[in-house]
Amino acid sequence: MNEGGREGIEMRQIRIALTKGRLEKDTVKLFESMGFECGSLKNKGRKLILPIDNKPFEVVLAKAADVITYIEHGVCDIGIVGKDTIMEYQGTFFEMLDLGFGKCKFALATKVGIDFYSGYNEKSIATKYPNVTRAFFKSKGMDVRIVKIEGSVELAPLLELSDGIVDIVETGVTLKENGLFVIEEIADISARLIVNTISMKLYKKEIEALLAEIETVPKE
Amino acid sequence: MGKNMANYKLVTPEGTKDYLFNEVTLRNKITDKFRNLFYNHSYHEVITPGLEYLDVFLAKGHGLPIEDLYKLVDNHGRLMVLRPDSTTPIARLCATRLKEEELPLRLFYNQSVYSLTEQNRGHSNEVRQAGIELIGDGSKRADLEVLYLAIQALEELAPCKFRIEIGHIGIYNSLIEQLNLDEETQEEIRSCIESKNYPALNERLDKLEYSPGIEVIKRLPGLFGEEVFDEALDLIKDEKTLDIIEYLKKIYVSLKQLNTVGTITVDFGIVNKKDYYTGIVFKGYLEDFAGEDVLSGGRYDNLLGYFGKEAEAVGFSINIDVATRVLLDRNRKKNGADILLLPKKGYEIEAFHHMKELAGKYVVEQSLNKTIEKSLAYAKERGIPFLEIVGSEIERMEVTKQS
Repeated sequence: MNEGGREGIEMRQIRIALTKGRLEKDTVKLFESMGFECGSLKNKGRKLILPIDNKPFEVVLAKAADVITYIEHGVCDIGIVGKDTIMEYQGTFFEMLDLGFGKCKFALATKVGIDFYSGYNEKSIATKYPNVTRAFFKSKGMDVRIVKIEGSVELAPLLELSDGIVDIVETGVTLKENGLFVIEEIADISARLIVNTISMKLYKKEIEALLAEIETVPKE
Repeated sequence: MGKNMANYKLVTPEGTKDYLFNEVTLRNKITDKFRNLFYNHSYHEVITPGLEYLDVFLAKGHGLPIEDLYKLVDNHGRLMVLRPDSTTPIARLCATRLKEEELPLRLFYNQSVYSLTEQNRGHSNEVRQAGIELIGDGSKRADLEVLYLAIQALEELAPCKFRIEIGHIGIYNSLIEQLNLDEETQEEIRSCIESKNYPALNERLDKLEYSPGIEVIKRLPGLFGEEVFDEALDLIKDEKTLDIIEYLKKIYVSLKQLNTVGTITVDFGIVNKKDYYTGIVFKGYLEDFAGEDVLSGGRYDNLLGYFGKEAEAVGFSINIDVATRVLLDRNRKKNGADILLLPKKGYEIEAFHHMKELAGKYVVEQSLNKTIEKSLAYAKERGIPFLEIVGSEIERMEVTKQS
């Protein structure tokens, strides 16, 4: 009857929401180094909820922004998500660990040869991260026009839709190949471990033990 | 892409909904329980307007940003808001119409509050709250009375298990005061503690000149649970903070003596943004539900001063919607009547007599189906546990046991 397993706290396992993709691979590596059996997680097929076979945890695979949503609503207890997503979507939760992987940067970039800050014309910025962009320029006291782009943001200045972009930069190769360069770094990004504020109280022992265990693993 | 208003005629605004049937019944039942509880402890009910002037909510440090308020303009061009909380209007009321009243004043309310939440995140913009305010007393006994009633209120939500977490805004305030920081740095530190963001907190504090207080603040977010007083008393050396911790400990020990079925815990890292709070702060949670707290309150000794009357005050509010939702989840299996009555041919009036006997104790529904089979199927579908067939005698069938 209770497939959701939400009846009574005794029955509920601690649920970890994990961002699909690169962070997923790094997290599985981390879990394996801690002795978690990740067999189900590695051979997942199309399943989205997966058990850790030798621990009382289950893992939910989700898109980055959804990880925050699941944590906020308390349907998952622990989330692993990039600082980029946290900065863009905000929300109420505990941000407890910097996991040290998934490192990259938020940066402002434009076409090579352009002096971005010169002139009186209003600048337009293409980005997948409108909130981060707005906060960055607000701190400079600068009005900009923000254009939300879903795919390759680098296209926007090349097509002269925008004067610059705010995006995640890892190696800078994509920028370079498209004749763009970083004007200014905005923030460092890495994977974070977040916890629902109420779960932290309900499962204090279990969650604190997990955090302590993660911290004993040497960072790369 | 037309932005014609008629496009919206079939939906309720985001964050609101229509309440139907058993949800309304349950909500009224919960509301009545709280009303009786507060009334029986000498609290008096007030209703404040749904609309207030914006100015009411502009006290320094009022938790809700103006962006999050529903704003309207009246016929003189004045800015109005839909009431975003009830404590502030009640403070206004106490400082104006009730200013000559003898203190303490004990007031309670049961009304909705409105705020704009982040879009598409599934939060409620209209929330029904009940709550109490004890105005004009700053004593420990006043704090205890309000906490006692908070516990009583949560016990009304049985069989849900609950926990109450207490803290004191003064712990953080007195520690941060000693560091003599500018407001911006203070806010950075506060928000790190609030989100228990240890890496950022440590990094921020390590940039400051070393002082013993810094080490304490680093540990603050981790000081929560049931057995934290010894650790805290060990860690903290300055007298002002120690006094506050001793006070909190006394409250904690007293609440434990109430022997409530709920769990009482402490969090030293409570640094509410809603910082009209000046003393104890507390939150209540239902153990089946990690989505939101169900109760929240604390002491706010400066808020009435904003309206020109100096008076200490303490109170709390309960989120009736969360309470209803959690209890409803529990009752989901049984969302219809308790008993379905099917009269045999010629026994229709007897069925009504029998209905009259049952009503009051049970919710009874007459089956409008003609056969036992159809009535059983109907009962099963609606989750009605019993079917009674009224003839020369009454036959009761357990619906789940029939195939």
